[in-house]
Amino acid sequence: MGLHADVSATFTADGADTFHVDAEFDVERGESLVVLGPSGSGKTLLLETVAGFHSHDGTVTLDGRRVSDSPPEQRDFGFVFQDYALFPHMTVRENADYGSRYHDETRDPIDLLAELGVDDLLDRYPPTLSGGEKQRVALARALAIRPEVMLLDEPLAALDVPTRQDLRDDLADVLTDATAVYVTHNRTTARALADRIAVMNDGRIVQLGTPEEIFERPSSPMVARFTGSNYVDLAETPSLRGALGGTEDDAISIRPEAVELGDGGDVRATVERVVREDATNRLTLSVDGEAIEAFADVSPDIGDEMWLTFPPDRLYYMDGREEAIRA
Amino acid sequence: MATRTETRVSLDGIGRGALAVAFVAMQILAFVAAYTTGRPTWYAFFMVGSTAVTAYVLQGDTFVVAAATLGSVLMIALALPLFLFVARQSPSLIVEKTLDSDVHRMIYLGVYGPLLAALVSLVFGVPLAHLLSEGFVGQPLVESLVDLPLVVPHSVAGILILFGFGKGGAFPNVSILGTMVGMVLAMAFVSAPYAVNAAREAFEAIDDRLEYASRIHGANRWETFRRVTGPLAVRGIVTGGVLAWARAVSEFGAVAVVAYSVSFFYLPAGEKVTAQHAPVFVYNTYLQGGLAESGAVAFLLLAVSGIIFLIIRYLTGDSTTTGGVV
Repeated sequence: MGLHADVSATFTADGADTFHVDAEFDVERGESLVVLGPSGSGKTLLLETVAGFHSHDGTVTLDGRRVSDSPPEQRDFGFVFQDYALFPHMTVRENADYGSRYHDETRDPIDLLAELGVDDLLDRYPPTLSGGEKQRVALARALAIRPEVMLLDEPLAALDVPTRQDLRDDLADVLTDATAVYVTHNRTTARALADRIAVMNDGRIVQLGTPEEIFERPSSPMVARFTGSNYVDLAETPSLRGALGGTEDDAISIRPEAVELGDGGDVRATVERVVREDATNRLTLSVDGEAIEAFADVSPDIGDEMWLTFPPDRLYYMDGREEAIRA
Repeated sequence: MATRTETRVSLDGIGRGALAVAFVAMQILAFVAAYTTGRPTWYAFFMVGSTAVTAYVLQGDTFVVAAATLGSVLMIALALPLFLFVARQSPSLIVEKTLDSDVHRMIYLGVYGPLLAALVSLVFGVPLAHLLSEGFVGQPLVESLVDLPLVVPHSVAGILILFGFGKGGAFPNVSILGTMVGMVLAMAFVSAPYAVNAAREAFEAIDDRLEYASRIHGANRWETFRRVTGPLAVRGIVTGGVLAWARAVSEFGAVAVVAYSVSFFYLPAGEKVTAQHAPVFVYNTYLQGGLAESGAVAFLLLAVSGIIFLIIRYLTGDSTTTGGVV
């Protein structure tokens, strides 16, 4: 039981090609599904279609009840928008209380605003609020109607980094027991909030699985690259092929944090770039001209040579040949 | 282009407002001097010259000076007749016309009829504007129909209305020739595009997601219109109504063809009277009583138009500063 969606919809805009969204997914009760994909992959349109904002084929069911024939107001969903979509002519209190009159079971919007730390803004109007404050009010508005399913469309994308991290923590609390579909292009957010992840590209879901499956065992080069994994075509890297085994038809993926650096290992690589990130260095290394990323506490110079080790338990052979290769 | 360019001469301590008042005061003094000496043409030269000099002193840029000089020629074409018109009125004749009951009826009808037309335009135009803002199949055709009255000569519009709704037209039992219904119909025909287009722009300016947010949190389409879309578009709708009203007040051609004079219930007298729509009345007075008499009536009508103009400026000016949000 939970949310089941199997929808297809076609969108046309002036001056643009038609765009098709065609996707099927389930969300169990209490589960958070994150739809992860690049800009223009159709994830927002998918979420809006499930919400009932666009006409579509297929079905959406909630606990077995078919809601796809119902208008948005009868679907029992809450929605949080990227650009907040607060009603500019209403105060914070009126915004948070917007849906109460249409629902029998509601939560006190003032309590919700207090939980989210914005109950001191009750009589303010949205244009006078900061981005983080607006999104908290929008979250309260959605939660106040006790929706069966929360739909969230990149709610953190328009916020600055510190605000984003604060609100992400709040969202993690809110979504603990909620049934939710959360759309984002940010893999860090996806990993932090998801019970399962659906990677979307070009209007379709290309891989659906637990965060570990998506990040450690990507089903395609696109998923590997978008989730930040190294994807290396063994046909282009004879030295790696020699070290790890496999044929020219194979490719490997491995998380950058799993690649080990040292004085000895599987293959020698040349440092091409060093970027300082919060507490570590992100290194880009070259093996036979192919780029491999790794993290390191040390800060080597450009052109230095280092040994890379690929732990077998973190190495994923793509194209479904991993069993044969390991044997 | 929206940002103000800095002036060459420092305006600290004077301020733009004071400068504008001084410029206008100078223009009035020059006009009064030219008029009282019987040489209004001199004022025209003064206006062009003073604009060019002011532009040069403030900006020192030949492009701005050229633009201001050429622009001031058009300003003369617009302002000089207005100034001379006001200056040449006979106060006693204006007082006489102000006390004339025919003029009272004209002004009453000239405000009341257009109000009805604006109301009709809004009642049927706002729903259409809402549909147009969302888009539908065949929309270009409907848009063309809505905008048609803007390009059709208004006497032709009057003829169209007579063919459509007059004798032998769509509603044989409703008399429109020389009736209030006909007058309002003629006015609505020419003024509805203003109401529809202003309301449509207001609806289009509202983010779709506000409507989505309203719907998903429980409000149906009626409730969404009542609580979100309507209130957010209200300023545009009111502006459209006032524009339609103003257009109807100034309408001559269509009204002259359909309802040259109409009988209507005149509230101040509590009886039915016959009168003509204001522009028709002014034209009629000109034909029968000459320039001086029609000038006095026109002066009163100009005052009414001036008030409408100020209302429109207030509404549209405010909407730009608040981004259309009430």
